[in-house]
Amino acid sequence: MGMSSSESATALKRTVIIAIFAAVAVVLSLVEAQIPLSGMGMVPGAKLGLANIMILTCIFFLRGRDAFLLVVLKTLLTAFILGTFSSLLFSLFGSLFSFVVMYLLMLIGGKQLSLIGISIAGGVAHNIGQLLAASMVFASLKIFYYLPMLLITGVVTGVAVGFAVRYLVTSLSKISLFEEFLDDPGDAAKG
Amino acid sequence: MKRADVWLISIVLVAALAFLVPRWFSSDESKGGIGDNLVANVTVDGKLFKTVKLTKEEQTIDIRTDRGYNILKVHDYGIEMYDADCPDKVCLGFGRITRTKQTIVCLPHRVLVEIASVSGEDEVDGYVQ
Repeated sequence: MGMSSSESATALKRTVIIAIFAAVAVVLSLVEAQIPLSGMGMVPGAKLGLANIMILTCIFFLRGRDAFLLVVLKTLLTAFILGTFSSLLFSLFGSLFSFVVMYLLMLIGGKQLSLIGISIAGGVAHNIGQLLAASMVFASLKIFYYLPMLLITGVVTGVAVGFAVRYLVTSLSKISLFEEFLDDPGDAAKG
Repeated sequence: MKRADVWLISIVLVAALAFLVPRWFSSDESKGGIGDNLVANVTVDGKLFKTVKLTKEEQTIDIRTDRGYNILKVHDYGIEMYDADCPDKVCLGFGRITRTKQTIVCLPHRVLVEIASVSGEDEVDGYVQ
């Protein structure tokens, strides 16, 4: 009986963490949407990927399916708020592709790659996923003209996001809510 | 940062440069012919909407679909997205494009603008002679 109650407490903690992370990720996406990156000489459509901070942190602490839920929640809520339903599938594709790459790298390459490397791979994968979705929509590969520029921005934003995740993970590890998730397999990627 | 991170960064950057460097060289060659024989192919939903010559004089192209409107403007041998009522406004950020293979994309409205040379020949064939 005591066992099941501690299990349900863990499940509740997971739900709470996902909910908080989703809320923060949505706010970060909204803030990001207000920043005119293309006005600063960057490739149109390139994003800072701030919400990726929460997704990578979630992959680090929780299980793959929890992070998957977070990705879907964040994408749906952002589309609701920004009214960008016409590109919902498109951004879902990018986010899920990025999530799958980061999750697999955390499982397989967690010892070799640091959080920064995983974040870079996620940022690059997000851009490639979006281009893939867009080229499917247009049935044309012409959009891949922007691939090299998006690769470079993916690396730059990936480094920034990776550093943010490193600080966030260090700080969150001191909070009791996250204590019991520190022994997860994703732990190997620390540092 | 670990060694694998540095490798990952290098591989991605080298891949990006492998695409970019040949483009810089070829763009110098085609600069001479800028505006002379360039057209913009505007496609909506994968179907050709209009082909316009990139002239020095100003022309505007109105694209109105049930998704919304996009206004393209041709001037000084280039083309730019002037206005659109799409939610993300990403298409407005492309600025004025002037070289072959450059594109403007408005994903929410499924509008794609691509510059091509009017002869239909590839640039590579152009400077073999």
